[in-house]
Amino acid sequence: MNPKIFYYLNSHRIYFWLFLSFFLMQIFLWKITENIHPKFDLIPPAPNKYMVSALSFGDNEFLFRILSARLQNSGDVFAGFVALKNYNYSYLYDWMKILDNLNSQSRLIPSLASYYYSQTQNISDNKYIIKYLDEYASKDIDKHWWWLFQATYIAKINLKDLKLALQLAEKLAINEAKDAPLWTKQLPAFIREDMGEGCVAFKIIKNLIDEIESGKRIAKPEEMNFMRYFINSRLTNLKNQKFNPKEC
Amino acid sequence: MNSIVKYILKNALRDKIYLGIFLALIVSLGLSVFLGSASLIEEQITTSVYLAGSYRIIIAIGMILFVCLSIGKAFENKEIEFILSKSISREGVVFSYLIGFFIVSLLISIPSFLIIAIIGKIKYSGFFLWAISIILENLILISFTLLASLILKNSFSAIFASFAFYLISRLMGIFVLAIDIPKNFIDAKNNILATLLKFLSVAFPRLDLYAQTSWIVYGIEKINNIEIIFWQFVIYLPLLIFMSFHDFKKKQF
Repeated sequence: MNPKIFYYLNSHRIYFWLFLSFFLMQIFLWKITENIHPKFDLIPPAPNKYMVSALSFGDNEFLFRILSARLQNSGDVFAGFVALKNYNYSYLYDWMKILDNLNSQSRLIPSLASYYYSQTQNISDNKYIIKYLDEYASKDIDKHWWWLFQATYIAKINLKDLKLALQLAEKLAINEAKDAPLWTKQLPAFIREDMGEGCVAFKIIKNLIDEIESGKRIAKPEEMNFMRYFINSRLTNLKNQKFNPKEC
Repeated sequence: MNSIVKYILKNALRDKIYLGIFLALIVSLGLSVFLGSASLIEEQITTSVYLAGSYRIIIAIGMILFVCLSIGKAFENKEIEFILSKSISREGVVFSYLIGFFIVSLLISIPSFLIIAIIGKIKYSGFFLWAISIILENLILISFTLLASLILKNSFSAIFASFAFYLISRLMGIFVLAIDIPKNFIDAKNNILATLLKFLSVAFPRLDLYAQTSWIVYGIEKINNIEIIFWQFVIYLPLLIFMSFHDFKKKQF
């Protein structure tokens, strides 16, 4: 072998040249992989309940808080925000149900659903929010009446589905919660009014007044004044239409 | 025995275990307060939960590393042989190490309990139970780590074994949930791995029932679990201690 080549092959400089050649290969590989990006899901599919139980390592509350924070902040990506219309609301619904399994006492998920995720530009997605709030509140309407009201509100105002709003309002009206105000019982009347069923609205309020006057229910003076005004104004309208209120 | 306990406490000071873990606790405090304040509602509750959950993990990891590395160093530097040359029984040596490590874990745990009690929004009855269960969990973990360090020659093997023990014990709930005992031999043969896992679960404590952060927030809901925690501790700790005694007594130096 040529002594010069032998000298270079056995000196430390060979390693420097080998390092340089592999570094060049690394630059080449970087260029090829530059456009390979991780798949980013706004809301990925929810895991099954066994996976969630395993991930909790026995501490459901800790996992609940971590996943709730993730749900709250999903879409907050790299100096930008994603419009709610781009979210997959069926996955969102699944996540909300999973998180309820971890902690059914916290108000965090229903709050996120009612106050944040209901503001989607894609109005039809609200049906998932309403479905979640309805199922959440139905576990104990006396305790969770507020969320059933939120579902009713979203159905009436956002989704503009008066039939669905009425269904939810009638469910809300049967609550016996001590802290629930009287308007939770009046809501079906207001929705019936909007649907053009003034007669039924009149009857609902009249029944309420009868219950209060018979002592079955307690109402504040201002609530009674409002209901009497409601009855009187509907009575005048019904009489003008030559309709007998007794036939409602 | 007192001198071994004092030696371990001074060892922890020299190895800066207290400083290291306190720094980790402070960083965790900062992160928990920040993440909790970002929550839509229930900010203080979220902070309490993050604090409690992270402190549990930090103390567990810190104690595993300290116990394994201390025992490994003690064997390498022939400290164990030196102690055994004195008039102290082998059981006494193991017990002293256990007490020493337990006091170190208490010295680390108490400030973290105080931080959670002061900063978090807690239910005191649930918090008290949570704190007790953390102490019991640490005792079980320290005992197992001591046993692993005595049996395995290598510190790193003992560390990995202890982490694996902790993880599997905390996953035990899902194992017993997802896997049923086979009804017959054919069922067992068809699900051999699941069956083995089910029977293996006998050897691990139910650490998934310990230190639930929901107790801090919502109070105690299931009284049965408290009894299970107590009996698990009463049965499992002596089991580990006697195994440690057995292994240490038959060791040749």
